[in-house]
Amino acid sequence: MNNVRLRVCAVSAAVLIGLTACGGGIDVEAADLTAEPEYEGTLSILTKFGGEPLSPYFEDLAAEYTSMHPEVDFEIIQETDQSIKDKTKTLVASSALPDIYFSWTGDYADKFIEGGLATDLTSVLAPDSEWGSTFGAASLDAFAKDGKYFAVPLYNNGKFMGYNKAVFDAAGVAVPTTFEELIAACPALEAQGVEPLAFGNKDGWPGLHFLQQLFAYNVPQDVLEKDFEPATAAWDHPGYLKSLEEFQTVVQECTGTGSDSNGVLYSTAQQAQSSGQAAMYFQEILEFDSVVTESSAITAEDFGIFALPAPEGAEGDPAALEGSPEGMMVNARSPRQALAVDFLRFVTSKDNAERLAGAPYSQPSTIIGAVSDTTASPAVVEGVTELNEASYILGWLDAVTVPDVADAWLAGGEALVSGSETPEEVLSNVRAASDSAE
Amino acid sequence: MSAPLRTAPNRTAAAPLPLHAVEAAVRRRRRPRGWAWVAPALLLLGVFVYLPLLQNLQYSVMKWDIYAGGSTFVGLANYEKLVDDPVFWRALFNNSAYAAVSLVCQVFGALLLAALVEGLRSERWRRALRAIYFVPSAISLTVAGLLFYFVYEPELGILNALLRGVGLDTLTQAWLGQEGTAIWAVIAMSQWQGFGYSTLLFAIAIQRIPQDLFDAASLDGVGPIRRFFQVTVPLTREMTGLMIIVTLSGAFQVFNEVMVMTSGGPNNSSQVLVTWLYRMGFGRNDFGYAAAIATVIFVLTLGIALLQLAITRKRRVEW
Repeated sequence: MNNVRLRVCAVSAAVLIGLTACGGGIDVEAADLTAEPEYEGTLSILTKFGGEPLSPYFEDLAAEYTSMHPEVDFEIIQETDQSIKDKTKTLVASSALPDIYFSWTGDYADKFIEGGLATDLTSVLAPDSEWGSTFGAASLDAFAKDGKYFAVPLYNNGKFMGYNKAVFDAAGVAVPTTFEELIAACPALEAQGVEPLAFGNKDGWPGLHFLQQLFAYNVPQDVLEKDFEPATAAWDHPGYLKSLEEFQTVVQECTGTGSDSNGVLYSTAQQAQSSGQAAMYFQEILEFDSVVTESSAITAEDFGIFALPAPEGAEGDPAALEGSPEGMMVNARSPRQALAVDFLRFVTSKDNAERLAGAPYSQPSTIIGAVSDTTASPAVVEGVTELNEASYILGWLDAVTVPDVADAWLAGGEALVSGSETPEEVLSNVRAASDSAE
Repeated sequence: MSAPLRTAPNRTAAAPLPLHAVEAAVRRRRRPRGWAWVAPALLLLGVFVYLPLLQNLQYSVMKWDIYAGGSTFVGLANYEKLVDDPVFWRALFNNSAYAAVSLVCQVFGALLLAALVEGLRSERWRRALRAIYFVPSAISLTVAGLLFYFVYEPELGILNALLRGVGLDTLTQAWLGQEGTAIWAVIAMSQWQGFGYSTLLFAIAIQRIPQDLFDAASLDGVGPIRRFFQVTVPLTREMTGLMIIVTLSGAFQVFNEVMVMTSGGPNNSSQVLVTWLYRMGFGRNDFGYAAAIATVIFVLTLGIALLQLAITRKRRVEW
């Protein structure tokens, strides 16, 4: 019996040691991206365009590309904003990352770059190149690292306060120019029988979007960028504490759901503005045309936007905006890199970029001139214009920080909403997470 | 059919082989054939159950970078991290609360309800009630989770509307949005979804008890309560044991309903072990730590199963 046990233990140990020896990356020869690709094989693509109305975009383009190059076919995996993170990690872990895949900017993109999974596209995409010069320079730079360009920015995104002009007029409220004016306007808006500000924080990130915009106003840019890196982070600027307090103020004073907001979906808040039940809703450019539709109570004429106003005497940059382009990377381990690049050139051609900017997709393309009055809704054009004029664009808080810190902010934001933690406690937890992530 | 035993030729003068020697020879002959029969199943079990278990154990002592594709041996660091992780302990508490409530509702409550239903004289009523209780179990957990998200919604949800309707406005709240109520709201939904299935299983177990025993108890003047404790409970012990194992193991493997309804929030208050494992692996890219949590879950569920099997084996009732 003891012998049997001994053998079992020995075999188990041997298997464990054997397994431990497995793993490791795959080296693939760098492709010449400037060369004419071989138009044959199956291109796999992972997009964030799952669901209506976005899913036909890549499907239609793939069909058109196949009609031009009959030997090329496609395998398209379409995910949503919520599911793509998990799907991507599963594909990475199982060495099944597609030839072309979606990426946010910041730490999210850095993981692929540092892991050798993102093709260096500098030879074809640098701002002074033929293809690169068709993009807004800032959107290219958002995916740059050490002077190299690693992703094709597909569309820009930014966060603005969408408001109902009719409700504002009825309440006698002007567009607020300071954070204090915004808070002061809320009782008058509520008197109109609507929720002043619709807010749903069930997913946690809507709260982070408020926080990051307030950080941009209250904390200098150099301090922010230092704090996003665990190795140099201190998270001790007084502007952070001020931002957390201001976030609590806006939740308590302006939202109808207050400390219950963690139980409300962001889409419920979106719907509240769409149905005319809310005067304001803090939203991404990508959401504008979901709020204002043919069947919505709020009309395009009544829908306006403004940047979340900066607090008086803020120490940061009052002209900074929160936003980020989102784009596609080419798998550095793909044997079809040149073909993948060729397809992405096709996707970002002027015609296809205008198609992306227009209905029903309404994604503000990064291609210069693609977003205009003829292709996009007035609100989208205004949002993109403001984004282009911003002195500084700050990426999403959960994308620019490392996962441990992003998680601490996510939990902290929810705690601030429900009132279970003080701003000091939240900041202390963030510091601890940042220290442990070094 | 096994081949007849061949004896040595021309052994007429020799004494016949003793019986135990014959049996031993037969066992020796049959052994390779037995292995051949079970080999495919053992191979499948090995590849799809035990190899992943060993791999999980291996990952739990590594720091694994899925992007760079490399891993580093870190010994028991992931387990040390686990001990110092307040969310892990919170998740363990939530799982334990899940287990306790599920035991009360889905084992003891379901047994009591099954006894009441099976005690009804009308067969039509018995069938109708079994069907009614079983309906929630036919709904997938994901769908039930989404359904209850809207039940619990603070502004539009039916629960708060009911409370307001009966003048209990002070009790209305964001059931899934408050740290004090989120996990309990999820547990309540889970009981609603699983209660009918447990009741149906107990009903089947009660139907297997010979009617003579109930009749004999009635002739002896035993009332319904004593009959429940002295006939129904002892003679459904095996099913009760099985249900306890299933319920406790299930309580430590809860995932779907928490993921759909709260994703572990707000502020990690409704995390359970599997959602925390998932967050660590797919959220923080810390697959080594996630594997350590998975090992803890495995040890817990295996321990519960072994303990319960040992108890029920000792207390088996036959009639």
